Amino acid sequence: MKITADTGSCVASGQCVLLAPGTFDQDEETGTVVLLAEEPAPGEEDAVRQAELTCPAAAIRLTGA
Amino acid sequence: MTTTEQPPRLPFTRGNALEIAPDYEALRRQAPVSRVLTPAGDPAWLITSYEEAKEVFRDRRFGRSHPAPEQASRISYAAVQDGPSGDFESEEREHKRMRRMLAPAFSAPRMRALGDRIAELTDRCLDDLQAARDADPGAPVDLTDFLAFPLPVLVICELLGVPYEDREKFRGLSERIARMDGGEDAQAAMTEFKAYMTELAEAKRADPRPDVISDMVAVQADDPTFTDDDLARMGAGLLFAGHETTSTRIAMGTLFLLTDTARRDRFAADPEGQVAQTVEEILRLTATSGTGLLRYAHEDVEIAGTRIARGDAVLISSDAANRDAAVFADPDEFDPDRTPNVHLAFGTGAHVCIGANLARTELRTVFPKLFRRFPGLRLAVGIDDIPVRTNRVAGGVDRVPVEW
Repeated sequence: MKITADTGSCVASGQCVLLAPGTFDQDEETGTVVLLAEEPAPGEEDAVRQAELTCPAAAIRLTGA
Repeated sequence: MTTTEQPPRLPFTRGNALEIAPDYEALRRQAPVSRVLTPAGDPAWLITSYEEAKEVFRDRRFGRSHPAPEQASRISYAAVQDGPSGDFESEEREHKRMRRMLAPAFSAPRMRALGDRIAELTDRCLDDLQAARDADPGAPVDLTDFLAFPLPVLVICELLGVPYEDREKFRGLSERIARMDGGEDAQAAMTEFKAYMTELAEAKRADPRPDVISDMVAVQADDPTFTDDDLARMGAGLLFAGHETTSTRIAMGTLFLLTDTARRDRFAADPEGQVAQTVEEILRLTATSGTGLLRYAHEDVEIAGTRIARGDAVLISSDAANRDAAVFADPDEFDPDRTPNVHLAFGTGAHVCIGANLARTELRTVFPKLFRRFPGLRLAVGIDDIPVRTNRVAGGVDRVPVEW
């Protein structure tokens, strides 16, 4: 599973960081998404899928199995 | 007998605190977008289906300002969510500035850091709840007085830098600005609320602290277009939204858990393991006041085949969307095992609730602590004896009498 996060459309809701703190972080200044790795951190696969679904800006995309 | 058919007028009546009005489903069965009258009697579009709600939340052609505010449909006679807000030309720029300014303070890492403090404050509230019970063991205790109201207030006070001693003052003001038939009194309360925030901002200017009001004052020092009035309105908005909404979810979440003993026992058996999903289900099912979230069309837009003209008011009912059977199986059932549970309790899109992670952190702390300490907690009255606040923008209930 490969993750992409579009900081341009991100609205800094921080839901992804709350769901998968090993995979996502938030920029200290702007609050927008910071991708810590291109693949989910161990054990966070389901949380990352949930993050894609719940992202208010549809800024998180997953490709591959 | 009248021959012209009037659109239904909001708010619709619901059976009890845990339900939503059946009118929403009746409307949704006809169309995702319906013609309604607002509580103030003006025309508006009501969105009741999930897909269209999400679409409008995300569509930048809808905003909170109006091209000709004096002609805009009024929603109610409260002083929040009552009509257009902000300037039509600069809304998007202003909104971006606000989000940029506030996002760091409400970010997930900051909320995680706040977690221990929230836990400490929750313990203190629960001590007070126990003390109230001990003082008069025969009488039920109101969970609103000892937990649902004070906890979110303590937290938002610390975050914003508002003195907790002032709580009765802004509790009163919050109630008055959100009364849908408030009229002049709601406006007067808003003026008073803003004066209070202006005074507070003045104090932070002289003595800045690590809090949101101080951050706003610092931003204002570098940005002359950010007026004292903007700051006061935003501060009052954050203080209002930061406690009313979460208070309601704590009260309603407790009601959801206590109205079914098996449900309560199941949660109390493994609160930490179940809390994340349980909180999402509480958020999905908690009904607010029934007007929904307000937008105005900034140009002509077609939604699900309905033409919405520039300037029309659109009310997005998250309450209804969150119970749309097209997305949620058995939508009226409380089922913490739903996955995914992509509800719209915080809205979505550019205006998504900035305090969502604060609310989640508070709720995920409160319920495990409450049921670890009082696993046998029960409601002292029937659910139908708990009056619903129909007249308030944030909805909610007045009291949650409990025993154990």
